[in-house]
Amino acid sequence: MDAPDGPDVPESGGPSDPRREIDAPNDPGGVDVPDVLAEVVDADTGEGELERTIGLTGGLAIGIGTMIGAGIFVFPGLAAENAGPAASLSFAIGAVVALLVALPASELATAMPRSGGGYFFISRGLGTAPGAVVGLGLWLGLVFASAFYLVGLGSYAGQVFLEAGIALPVDPAVPLGVAFGVGLTALSLFGTENTASLQNGIVAVLLVILTLFLSYGSLDALGVFGTESTPERFFPPGGLLPVLQTAALVFTSYLGFAQVATVAGDIKDPSRNLPLAMVASVLVVGVFYVVTVFVATSAFGSARLGEFGETAMVEVAREFVGFPGAIAIVVAGLLATFSSANASILSASRAVYAVSRDDLIPASASRINLRYGTPHVALGLAGGPIVVLAATGQVELLAEVASFLHLVMYGLICVALIRLRREGPDWYAPSFRCPAGFAVAGVGALASFALIAFMQPASIGIGIAVMVAAYGWYRYYSTDVELKGRF
Amino acid sequence: MTDTTPPDDPTRTETDRPAVLVPLEVLEGESPPTGTPDLLANAHVVLLGYHVIPEQTATEQAREQFGETAMAKLEGFAGTLAEAGATVEVRLVFTHDERTTIDRLIYEHDCLAVLVPNSTERVEEVLVAVRGTVGIDRNARLVAGLFAGTDVAVTLYHVLDDDETTDDGETLLNGVKAELVDRGMDPDGIEVVVEDAAAAVDAIARHGEAHDAVIMGETDPSVTTFVFGMPSEQVAERFLGPVLVVQRERPEGEAEE
Repeated sequence: MDAPDGPDVPESGGPSDPRREIDAPNDPGGVDVPDVLAEVVDADTGEGELERTIGLTGGLAIGIGTMIGAGIFVFPGLAAENAGPAASLSFAIGAVVALLVALPASELATAMPRSGGGYFFISRGLGTAPGAVVGLGLWLGLVFASAFYLVGLGSYAGQVFLEAGIALPVDPAVPLGVAFGVGLTALSLFGTENTASLQNGIVAVLLVILTLFLSYGSLDALGVFGTESTPERFFPPGGLLPVLQTAALVFTSYLGFAQVATVAGDIKDPSRNLPLAMVASVLVVGVFYVVTVFVATSAFGSARLGEFGETAMVEVAREFVGFPGAIAIVVAGLLATFSSANASILSASRAVYAVSRDDLIPASASRINLRYGTPHVALGLAGGPIVVLAATGQVELLAEVASFLHLVMYGLICVALIRLRREGPDWYAPSFRCPAGFAVAGVGALASFALIAFMQPASIGIGIAVMVAAYGWYRYYSTDVELKGRF
Repeated sequence: MTDTTPPDDPTRTETDRPAVLVPLEVLEGESPPTGTPDLLANAHVVLLGYHVIPEQTATEQAREQFGETAMAKLEGFAGTLAEAGATVEVRLVFTHDERTTIDRLIYEHDCLAVLVPNSTERVEEVLVAVRGTVGIDRNARLVAGLFAGTDVAVTLYHVLDDDETTDDGETLLNGVKAELVDRGMDPDGIEVVVEDAAAAVDAIARHGEAHDAVIMGETDPSVTTFVFGMPSEQVAERFLGPVLVVQRERPEGEAEE
């Protein structure tokens, strides 16, 4: 943690206070220097200041906690079925695309450390229309993502019954997912206990279990003990195409890094912690994903993995370490999908708040309930559709639509960076500058849009329909709102 | 903002008026209790209104909705305190974690003490619990700053450690008394009490009942940094009157977790 401002440099003293002079727009935001960006944003407007309470650890926990559930505990079976051992390449491609977006997003976040993340950057950088499409798209994108995580969570909860030897007449994944969706929404409506430390703990436990399991699995696969497995042909019969299609499918596993930016308003020392948390969380989960697929495909043939479906990793663990391994992975899977689902529901509610604050939807959507201090309307707007979508149980479709809506946003984040650097408005003074900005953002935008092309037609259709509907809403409700450059 | 201290005069709060943080959970209906304006008439009061928001809510969101109401209430409280003679600085913070906020403000305003806001009918007799030699200077600055030149009677109180004699205790307290007199207090208004008691917290709370307010130190610095460390919290709960918790000096760059 950084040192706080000394008593002679109060962080906030009101707009008319001479101590609040901001004279260093490119302040490095180093350890002993008060965070200039944070000061500008938190400036007391006569209605109170905002405490920033999330440090670097908390930021990393949000990023990793949101992402790791999907890539390790839901996708390996599906991905291996489609792309064979080359599915690890699919995950690597996803990581590269995510990094290409995370770097420009970091620059934008340090110039605009406000709640709302990608939506905020795009509406301020590119204008209201793209902002509205992305803002409403982000809300629904997170709704789809949450529903996807809930089905994953349901699968692991169902696995508990299997491990306990209780036979159920129907596959319990979907009903359990729906039940968890209702439960989590209620929890976020009425639960006022702070869950940050819980989230940090969950992520720490997960990383320990996974590191142990993957180290063991890798050593085994390489033949250090046991028998070296004969690797099957790396590329699937279709060549590179299935690999790219799989990359588009599993990209949902990388949606979490931008969630760090949606709570940018709560992050301490944002100039330093935002870029670090975003980039580092992508790198960490990327490595875990690639190794996971390597271990999984060395334990079983790809086709067999595909049969195991969402809970393939449980069988992989059983193969290596027997029943205790299976139990460990079931527990880890429950924790991971739970934390992903929970984080996404909360992010979806933040997205609703961000668009409502800007008058793109009625202000009543972000009303806070004084008794519980929670935004009940926004949480309802998130939780309701999430439960409905989870009931469909369409794992791959939900994942792809979520990825589609996020990829549109990611591409536009890159475009916004290029445009803001070109125009260089006065307020644009990021403290972190993306290296080779134009090149990275250019490739990032192209890669984001290109990945969409490899999705199933149904996902692309639903994604486009959502965007058209969002644009229609903007034309109907908020053409008179001007957001470009507004703070 | 109500800021009656010229911000460009850094020596003022240091020498003239001890800075005291008064935290109020303003939207939960907390207000400065009866007696607070009298107790802090000579202080530089940092009046902190805070509102704790669950993590699922953005702090901006709460400020937008409740900021104006909360600020208006605080300004009203600040007026009452200023009428009694205090200089007042108002801070309103929307936070997910009150500890972080209170800690930050103590540090930013270099507060000598934090008030546990309980009510009292009058301010005539104050109990000052002295733990040891550490932090005596800050204790003395606070007590003299608040009560020098007033009619308030001060009782200096020390509970003996196992290896201390009554003489040791009296030497300690007389040292504090001399320091208070140096700072302008009337020696006739200062009483010294040394006692051998089993549980310091019980003893302080018991003695507090005969007084209108208690001033005591922070919990053992090696154990916790939280302002309402257990002993002072326990005293406040039993004594039911206002407790001023003297904050230890914070070394540079240490105040955060």
